[in-house]
Amino acid sequence: MSEPHVYDMIVVGGGPGGYTAALYAARAGLDTLVLEKLSAGGQMALTEQIDNYPGFEEGIDGFTLAERMQTQAERFGAKTEYAQVDRMDLTAVPKVLETSEGVFYARTVAVATGANPRELGLPGEAALTGRGVAYCAACDGMRYKGKTVVVVGGGNSAAADAMLLSRVAKKVILVHRRDTLRATKIYHAPLMQAQNIEFRWNSVVAELLQDGKLTGVKLRDVNTGEETTLPCDGVFISVGRKPATDLVAGQLTLDRSGYIVADETTRTNIPGVYAVGDVRTKPLRQVVTAVADGAAAVHMAEEYLAGGE
Amino acid sequence: MAALNISQEQFREMIQGDKPVLVDFWAPWCGYCRRIAPVYEKIAEEYGDRLTAVKLNIDEAEQVTEEEGVEVIPTLILYKNGKALDSVVNPGSKAAIDQFIREALEK
Repeated sequence: MSEPHVYDMIVVGGGPGGYTAALYAARAGLDTLVLEKLSAGGQMALTEQIDNYPGFEEGIDGFTLAERMQTQAERFGAKTEYAQVDRMDLTAVPKVLETSEGVFYARTVAVATGANPRELGLPGEAALTGRGVAYCAACDGMRYKGKTVVVVGGGNSAAADAMLLSRVAKKVILVHRRDTLRATKIYHAPLMQAQNIEFRWNSVVAELLQDGKLTGVKLRDVNTGEETTLPCDGVFISVGRKPATDLVAGQLTLDRSGYIVADETTRTNIPGVYAVGDVRTKPLRQVVTAVADGAAAVHMAEEYLAGGE
Repeated sequence: MAALNISQEQFREMIQGDKPVLVDFWAPWCGYCRRIAPVYEKIAEEYGDRLTAVKLNIDEAEQVTEEEGVEVIPTLILYKNGKALDSVVNPGSKAAIDQFIREALEK
Protein backbone atom coordinates (compact mmCIF):
# COMPACT_ATOMS: atom_id res chain seq x y z
CA MET A 1 0.00 0.00 0.00
CA SER A 2 1.28 3.46 -0.84
CA GLU A 3 1.96 5.97 1.89
CA PRO A 4 -0.97 8.34 2.47
CA HIS A 5 -0.54 11.93 1.36
CA VAL A 6 0.34 14.19 4.28
CA TYR A 7 -0.46 17.90 3.92
CA ASP A 8 1.73 20.46 5.65
CA MET A 9 -1.41 22.26 6.78
CA ILE A 10 -5.09 21.41 6.77
CA VAL A 11 -7.46 24.26 7.50
CA VAL A 12 -10.83 23.23 8.89
CA GLY A 13 -13.42 25.81 7.84
CA GLY A 14 -13.45 28.12 4.81
CA GLY A 15 -14.40 31.45 6.38
CA PRO A 16 -12.20 34.55 6.17
CA GLY A 17 -9.80 33.25 8.85
CA GLY A 18 -9.53 29.86 7.17
CA TYR A 19 -8.86 31.14 3.69
CA THR A 20 -6.35 33.71 4.97
CA ALA A 21 -4.48 30.89 6.70
CA ALA A 22 -4.63 28.99 3.39
CA LEU A 23 -3.34 32.03 1.48
CA TYR A 24 -0.39 32.56 3.82
CA ALA A 25 0.38 28.84 3.98
CA ALA A 26 0.30 28.40 0.21
CA ARG A 27 2.46 31.48 -0.29
CA ALA A 28 4.91 30.08 2.27
CA GLY A 29 5.21 27.00 0.08
CA LEU A 30 3.21 24.75 2.39
CA ASP A 31 1.11 21.96 0.87
CA THR A 32 -2.29 23.24 2.00
CA LEU A 33 -5.86 21.93 1.99
CA VAL A 34 -9.05 23.64 3.16
CA LEU A 35 -11.91 21.43 4.33
CA GLU A 36 -15.22 23.26 4.00
CA LYS A 37 -18.61 21.63 4.43
CA LEU A 38 -20.68 24.02 2.30
CA SER A 39 -19.20 27.20 0.86
CA ALA A 40 -16.51 29.76 1.42
CA GLY A 41 -17.34 32.52 3.86
CA GLY A 42 -18.80 30.99 7.00
CA GLN A 43 -21.00 33.51 8.78
CA MET A 44 -19.74 36.22 6.45
CA ALA A 45 -21.30 34.45 3.45
CA LEU A 46 -24.73 35.50 4.67
CA THR A 47 -23.81 39.11 5.40
CA GLU A 48 -25.46 41.37 2.87
CA GLN A 49 -22.99 44.22 3.08
CA ILE A 50 -19.62 44.47 4.81
CA ASP A 51 -18.55 48.07 5.38
CA ASN A 52 -15.79 47.59 7.92
CA TYR A 53 -13.34 45.48 5.93
CA PRO A 54 -10.81 48.03 4.70
CA GLY A 55 -10.15 48.45 1.00
CA PHE A 56 -13.72 48.18 -0.22
CA GLU A 57 -14.81 51.81 -0.02
CA GLU A 58 -18.31 51.07 -1.29
CA GLY A 59 -18.68 47.99 0.90
CA ILE A 60 -18.83 44.43 -0.42
CA ASP A 61 -21.25 41.59 0.14
CA GLY A 62 -19.91 38.79 2.31
CA PHE A 63 -20.33 35.99 -0.18
CA THR A 64 -18.40 37.81 -2.90
CA LEU A 65 -15.61 38.68 -0.47
CA ALA A 66 -15.46 35.03 0.59
CA GLU A 67 -15.27 33.78 -2.99
CA ARG A 68 -12.46 36.23 -3.69
CA MET A 69 -10.52 35.04 -0.65
CA GLN A 70 -10.94 31.45 -1.82
CA THR A 71 -9.85 32.26 -5.37
CA GLN A 72 -6.85 34.19 -4.05
CA ALA A 73 -5.70 31.31 -1.82
CA GLU A 74 -6.21 28.83 -4.65
CA ARG A 75 -4.19 31.02 -7.04
CA PHE A 76 -1.15 30.20 -4.88
CA GLY A 77 -1.90 26.49 -4.81
CA ALA A 78 -4.19 25.94 -1.82
CA LYS A 79 -6.81 23.28 -2.46
CA THR A 80 -10.42 23.02 -1.28
CA GLU A 81 -12.36 19.87 -0.50
CA TYR A 82 -16.10 20.22 0.22
CA ALA A 83 -16.07 17.82 3.11
CA GLN A 84 -17.68 17.61 6.50
CA VAL A 85 -15.15 16.67 9.18
CA ASP A 86 -16.57 13.93 11.39
CA ARG A 87 -13.63 13.21 13.70
CA MET A 88 -10.09 14.40 14.27
CA ASP A 89 -7.11 12.95 16.09
CA LEU A 90 -4.98 16.02 16.71
CA THR A 91 -2.23 14.38 18.75
CA ALA A 92 -1.52 11.60 16.24
CA VAL A 93 1.54 11.85 13.99
CA PRO A 94 0.56 12.86 11.38
CA LYS A 95 -2.75 14.36 12.53
CA VAL A 96 -5.82 12.50 11.23
CA LEU A 97 -9.03 14.04 9.88
CA GLU A 98 -11.91 11.71 9.03
CA THR A 99 -14.41 13.37 6.68
CA SER A 100 -17.39 12.73 4.41
CA GLU A 101 -14.91 12.68 1.49
CA GLY A 102 -12.38 10.32 3.07
CA VAL A 103 -9.48 10.47 5.51
CA PHE A 104 -6.90 13.25 5.31
CA TYR A 105 -3.54 13.62 7.07
CA ALA A 106 -1.68 16.77 8.08
CA ARG A 107 1.40 17.92 10.00
CA THR A 108 -0.45 21.00 11.27
CA VAL A 109 -4.13 21.87 11.61
CA ALA A 110 -5.74 25.30 11.71
CA VAL A 111 -9.15 25.04 13.36
CA ALA A 112 -11.25 27.81 11.80
CA THR A 113 -14.70 26.37 12.37
CA GLY A 114 -16.22 29.67 13.47
CA ALA A 115 -19.48 30.12 15.29
CA ASN A 116 -23.19 29.73 14.63
CA PRO A 117 -26.24 31.70 15.74
CA ARG A 118 -27.38 30.83 19.25
CA GLU A 119 -30.89 29.44 19.48
CA LEU A 120 -33.53 30.42 22.03
CA GLY A 121 -34.01 26.76 22.90
CA LEU A 122 -37.81 26.85 22.70
CA PRO A 123 -39.99 23.87 21.72
CA GLY A 124 -40.69 23.83 17.97
CA GLU A 125 -37.86 26.24 17.21
CA ALA A 126 -35.96 23.89 14.91
CA ALA A 127 -39.07 22.74 13.03
CA LEU A 128 -40.20 26.34 12.50
CA THR A 129 -36.83 27.45 11.12
CA GLY A 130 -37.62 28.66 7.62
CA ARG A 131 -41.31 28.71 8.51
CA GLY A 132 -41.32 31.94 10.43
CA VAL A 133 -38.25 31.48 12.60
CA ALA A 134 -35.04 32.96 11.17
CA TYR A 135 -31.54 33.82 12.33
CA CYS A 136 -30.35 36.07 9.52
CA ALA A 137 -32.26 39.19 8.50
CA ALA A 138 -30.01 39.75 5.50
CA CYS A 139 -30.87 36.29 4.17
CA ASP A 140 -34.53 35.92 4.98
CA GLY A 141 -35.74 39.49 5.44
CA MET A 142 -37.12 39.83 1.92
CA ARG A 143 -39.69 37.13 2.66
CA TYR A 144 -41.36 39.44 5.17
CA LYS A 145 -42.10 42.32 2.86
CA GLY A 146 -45.08 44.25 4.23
CA LYS A 147 -45.42 41.88 7.22
CA THR A 148 -44.97 42.10 10.97
CA VAL A 149 -41.78 40.68 12.45
CA VAL A 150 -40.25 40.33 15.89
CA VAL A 151 -36.51 40.71 16.50
CA VAL A 152 -35.18 39.10 19.67
CA GLY A 153 -31.98 40.51 21.17
CA GLY A 154 -30.33 43.75 22.16
CA GLY A 155 -26.82 43.63 20.75
CA ASN A 156 -25.31 45.02 17.57
CA SER A 157 -26.59 42.28 15.31
CA ALA A 158 -30.13 42.56 16.72
CA ALA A 159 -30.01 46.32 16.15
CA ALA A 160 -28.69 45.89 12.60
CA ASP A 161 -31.34 43.27 11.88
CA ALA A 162 -34.11 45.55 13.19
CA MET A 163 -32.86 48.42 11.00
CA LEU A 164 -32.66 46.22 7.93
CA LEU A 165 -36.10 44.70 8.53
CA SER A 166 -37.68 48.12 9.15
CA ARG A 167 -36.97 48.95 5.52
CA VAL A 168 -38.79 45.81 4.33
CA ALA A 169 -41.44 44.86 6.87
CA LYS A 170 -44.59 46.76 7.81
CA LYS A 171 -43.75 46.67 11.49
CA VAL A 172 -40.74 45.54 13.54
CA ILE A 173 -41.01 44.76 17.25
CA LEU A 174 -37.72 44.52 19.10
CA VAL A 175 -37.91 42.26 22.15
CA HIS A 176 -35.10 42.57 24.68
CA ARG A 177 -34.76 41.15 28.16
CA ARG A 178 -33.24 44.35 29.57
CA ASP A 179 -34.54 47.92 29.61
CA THR A 180 -31.84 49.26 27.31
CA LEU A 181 -29.92 48.11 24.25
CA ARG A 182 -26.45 46.63 24.53
CA ALA A 183 -25.79 47.70 20.93
CA THR A 184 -23.23 50.47 20.35
CA LYS A 185 -24.45 54.08 20.31
CA ILE A 186 -24.37 54.37 16.53
CA TYR A 187 -27.54 52.26 16.31
CA HIS A 188 -29.63 53.96 19.00
CA ALA A 189 -30.80 57.13 17.23
CA PRO A 190 -31.81 55.53 13.91
CA LEU A 191 -33.71 52.79 15.77
CA MET A 192 -35.60 55.27 17.92
CA GLN A 193 -36.36 57.46 14.90
CA ALA A 194 -37.64 54.66 12.67
CA GLN A 195 -41.41 55.04 12.29
CA ASN A 196 -42.20 51.34 12.25
CA ILE A 197 -40.02 49.96 15.06
CA GLU A 198 -41.56 49.29 18.47
CA PHE A 199 -39.80 48.09 21.60
CA ARG A 200 -40.80 45.56 24.22
CA TRP A 201 -38.31 46.00 27.03
CA ASN A 202 -37.75 43.57 29.93
CA SER A 203 -39.37 40.84 27.87
CA VAL A 204 -38.44 37.38 26.70
CA VAL A 205 -40.07 35.04 24.21
CA ALA A 206 -41.70 32.32 26.31
CA GLU A 207 -43.38 30.39 23.52
CA LEU A 208 -43.56 30.17 19.74
CA LEU A 209 -47.18 30.03 18.53
CA GLN A 210 -47.83 28.07 15.35
CA ASP A 211 -50.24 26.31 13.06
CA GLY A 212 -47.54 24.56 11.02
CA LYS A 213 -45.87 27.89 10.52
CA LEU A 214 -45.28 30.67 13.00
CA THR A 215 -48.34 32.76 13.87
CA GLY A 216 -47.02 34.72 16.83
CA VAL A 217 -45.03 34.67 20.05
CA LYS A 218 -45.94 34.66 23.70
CA LEU A 219 -43.90 37.26 25.59
CA ARG A 220 -43.15 37.18 29.29
CA ASP A 221 -42.27 40.29 31.29
CA VAL A 222 -39.15 39.38 33.27
CA ASN A 223 -40.16 41.63 36.19
CA THR A 224 -43.86 40.94 36.59
CA GLY A 225 -44.08 37.49 34.97
CA GLU A 226 -47.07 38.73 33.00
CA GLU A 227 -47.57 37.01 29.65
CA THR A 228 -48.91 38.61 26.49
CA THR A 229 -49.57 37.22 23.03
CA LEU A 230 -48.07 39.04 20.08
CA PRO A 231 -49.23 37.95 16.61
CA CYS A 232 -46.48 38.15 13.97
CA ASP A 233 -45.38 36.57 10.69
CA GLY A 234 -41.74 36.11 11.56
CA VAL A 235 -39.31 36.10 14.47
CA PHE A 236 -35.64 36.89 13.91
CA ILE A 237 -33.47 35.49 16.67
CA SER A 238 -30.33 37.49 17.27
CA VAL A 239 -29.10 36.51 20.71
CA GLY A 240 -25.45 35.90 20.05
CA ARG A 241 -23.38 33.05 18.77
CA LYS A 242 -22.01 29.74 19.91
CA PRO A 243 -18.63 28.45 18.80
CA ALA A 244 -18.47 25.34 16.59
CA THR A 245 -16.17 23.36 18.85
CA ASP A 246 -17.99 20.04 19.32
CA LEU A 247 -15.41 18.50 17.00
CA VAL A 248 -12.43 19.44 19.18
CA ALA A 249 -14.00 19.13 22.64
CA GLY A 250 -11.95 16.71 24.72
CA GLN A 251 -8.79 17.45 22.75
CA LEU A 252 -8.41 21.22 22.81
CA THR A 253 -8.84 23.33 25.93
CA LEU A 254 -12.07 25.32 25.76
CA ASP A 255 -13.26 28.21 27.91
CA ARG A 256 -16.61 28.20 29.74
CA SER A 257 -18.47 29.46 26.66
CA GLY A 258 -16.91 26.77 24.47
CA TYR A 259 -14.31 28.89 22.65
CA ILE A 260 -10.84 27.41 22.06
CA VAL A 261 -8.36 28.88 24.51
CA ALA A 262 -5.58 30.55 22.51
CA ASP A 263 -3.86 33.93 22.57
CA GLU A 264 -2.89 36.04 19.56
CA THR A 265 -0.31 33.45 18.51
CA THR A 266 -3.37 31.19 17.91
CA ARG A 267 -1.46 28.28 19.51
CA THR A 268 -3.63 25.80 21.37
CA ASN A 269 -2.71 23.25 24.01
CA ILE A 270 -1.72 20.77 21.27
CA PRO A 271 1.51 21.54 19.34
CA GLY A 272 0.85 22.13 15.64
CA VAL A 273 -2.83 22.97 16.18
CA TYR A 274 -4.00 26.58 15.85
CA ALA A 275 -7.32 28.29 16.60
CA VAL A 276 -8.22 30.85 13.96
CA GLY A 277 -11.03 33.40 13.89
CA ASP A 278 -14.29 33.50 15.86
CA VAL A 279 -13.64 30.07 17.38
CA ARG A 280 -10.77 31.46 19.50
CA THR A 281 -11.02 33.32 22.81
CA LYS A 282 -10.72 37.00 21.89
CA PRO A 283 -12.27 40.36 22.71
CA LEU A 284 -13.51 41.27 19.23
CA ARG A 285 -14.92 38.91 16.58
CA GLN A 286 -14.72 40.59 13.21
CA VAL A 287 -13.56 39.69 9.70
CA VAL A 288 -10.42 41.79 10.23
CA THR A 289 -9.48 39.97 13.42
CA ALA A 290 -10.21 36.58 11.84
CA VAL A 291 -7.89 37.22 8.90
CA ALA A 292 -5.16 38.38 11.29
CA ASP A 293 -5.42 35.04 13.10
CA GLY A 294 -5.00 33.23 9.80
CA ALA A 295 -1.69 34.94 9.14
CA ALA A 296 -0.47 34.41 12.72
CA ALA A 297 -1.33 30.70 12.64
CA VAL A 298 0.79 30.13 9.54
CA HIS A 299 3.69 32.03 11.07
CA MET A 300 3.55 29.76 14.12
CA ALA A 301 3.06 26.65 11.96
CA GLU A 302 6.17 27.45 9.94
CA GLU A 303 8.19 27.65 13.17
CA TYR A 304 6.67 24.39 14.35
CA LEU A 305 7.39 22.60 11.06
CA ALA A 306 10.96 23.85 11.19
CA GLY A 307 11.23 22.32 14.65
CA GLY A 308 11.53 25.63 16.44
CA GLU A 309 8.33 25.80 18.43
CA MET B 1 -22.04 18.97 -16.66
CA ALA B 2 -23.02 22.34 -15.29
CA ALA B 3 -26.43 22.71 -13.64
CA LEU B 4 -28.56 24.59 -16.18
CA ASN B 5 -31.33 27.02 -15.38
CA ILE B 6 -34.58 25.70 -16.83
CA SER B 7 -38.03 27.15 -17.52
CA GLN B 8 -41.38 25.91 -16.19
CA GLU B 9 -42.09 24.25 -19.53
CA GLN B 10 -38.74 22.46 -19.53
CA PHE B 11 -39.36 21.42 -15.92
CA ARG B 12 -42.69 19.79 -16.80
CA GLU B 13 -41.11 17.88 -19.67
CA MET B 14 -37.85 16.86 -17.98
CA ILE B 15 -39.28 15.36 -14.81
CA GLN B 16 -41.31 12.84 -16.83
CA GLY B 17 -38.13 11.03 -17.88
CA ASP B 18 -36.65 7.76 -16.67
CA LYS B 19 -33.38 9.41 -15.70
CA PRO B 20 -33.77 11.12 -12.30
CA VAL B 21 -33.79 14.93 -12.33
CA LEU B 22 -32.57 16.93 -9.34
CA VAL B 23 -34.15 20.39 -9.18
CA ASP B 24 -32.76 23.27 -7.08
CA PHE B 25 -35.60 25.71 -6.38
CA TRP B 26 -33.75 28.99 -5.86
CA ALA B 27 -33.95 32.76 -6.31
CA PRO B 28 -31.31 35.42 -6.94
CA TRP B 29 -32.18 37.27 -3.69
CA CYS B 30 -31.73 34.16 -1.52
CA GLY B 31 -28.47 34.09 0.43
CA TYR B 32 -28.61 30.42 1.35
CA CYS B 33 -29.18 29.59 -2.32
CA ARG B 34 -26.00 31.40 -3.25
CA ARG B 35 -24.10 29.47 -0.61
CA ILE B 36 -25.05 26.06 -1.98
CA ALA B 37 -24.44 27.05 -5.61
CA PRO B 38 -20.72 26.07 -5.83
CA VAL B 39 -21.38 22.71 -4.17
CA TYR B 40 -24.44 22.17 -6.38
CA GLU B 41 -22.22 22.52 -9.45
CA LYS B 42 -19.95 19.85 -7.99
CA ILE B 43 -22.94 17.61 -7.34
CA ALA B 44 -24.06 18.10 -10.96
CA GLU B 45 -20.64 16.84 -12.13
CA GLU B 46 -20.21 13.99 -9.65
CA TYR B 47 -23.66 12.52 -10.22
CA GLY B 48 -23.85 13.35 -13.94
CA ASP B 49 -24.13 9.69 -15.00
CA ARG B 50 -26.97 8.95 -12.59
CA LEU B 51 -29.08 12.12 -12.69
CA THR B 52 -29.50 15.51 -14.34
CA ALA B 53 -29.12 18.46 -11.97
CA VAL B 54 -30.95 21.65 -12.93
CA LYS B 55 -31.98 24.92 -11.31
CA LEU B 56 -35.39 26.59 -11.30
CA ASN B 57 -35.67 30.28 -10.41
CA ILE B 58 -38.92 30.47 -8.41
CA ASP B 59 -39.48 34.10 -9.42
CA GLU B 60 -39.80 32.90 -13.01
CA ALA B 61 -41.74 29.75 -12.15
CA GLU B 62 -44.43 30.78 -9.70
CA GLN B 63 -46.96 28.24 -10.94
CA VAL B 64 -44.65 25.23 -10.69
CA THR B 65 -43.34 26.43 -7.33
CA GLU B 66 -46.87 26.51 -5.96
CA GLU B 67 -47.85 23.18 -7.54
CA GLU B 68 -44.79 21.52 -6.05
CA GLY B 69 -45.51 22.99 -2.61
CA VAL B 70 -42.16 24.73 -2.29
CA GLU B 71 -42.47 27.28 0.53
CA VAL B 72 -38.87 27.68 1.60
CA ILE B 73 -35.76 28.00 -0.55
CA PRO B 74 -33.36 26.53 -1.28
CA THR B 75 -35.34 23.31 -1.68
CA LEU B 76 -33.90 20.38 -3.64
CA ILE B 77 -36.37 17.85 -5.06
CA LEU B 78 -35.42 14.66 -6.89
CA TYR B 79 -37.90 13.57 -9.59
CA LYS B 80 -38.22 10.36 -11.61
CA ASN B 81 -40.98 9.31 -14.04
CA GLY B 82 -42.99 12.42 -13.17
CA LYS B 83 -42.92 11.79 -9.42
CA ALA B 84 -41.08 13.55 -6.60
CA LEU B 85 -38.96 10.90 -4.85
CA ASP B 86 -37.89 13.10 -1.95
CA SER B 87 -36.91 16.64 -1.03
CA VAL B 88 -34.51 18.46 1.27
CA VAL B 89 -34.79 22.04 2.50
CA ASN B 90 -31.75 24.24 3.06
CA PRO B 91 -29.08 21.50 3.28
CA GLY B 92 -26.22 22.55 5.54
CA SER B 93 -23.36 20.76 3.82
CA LYS B 94 -22.31 18.90 0.69
CA ALA B 95 -22.40 15.78 2.85
CA ALA B 96 -26.09 16.43 3.60
CA ILE B 97 -26.86 16.72 -0.13
CA ASP B 98 -24.86 13.54 -0.86
CA GLN B 99 -26.84 11.65 1.76
CA PHE B 100 -30.15 13.02 0.45
CA ILE B 101 -29.35 11.91 -3.11
CA ARG B 102 -28.12 8.46 -2.05
CA GLU B 103 -31.27 7.79 -0.04
CA ALA B 104 -33.67 9.29 -2.61
CA LEU B 105 -32.17 7.25 -5.47
CA GLU B 106 -32.84 4.06 -3.54
CA LYS B 107 -36.57 4.85 -3.32
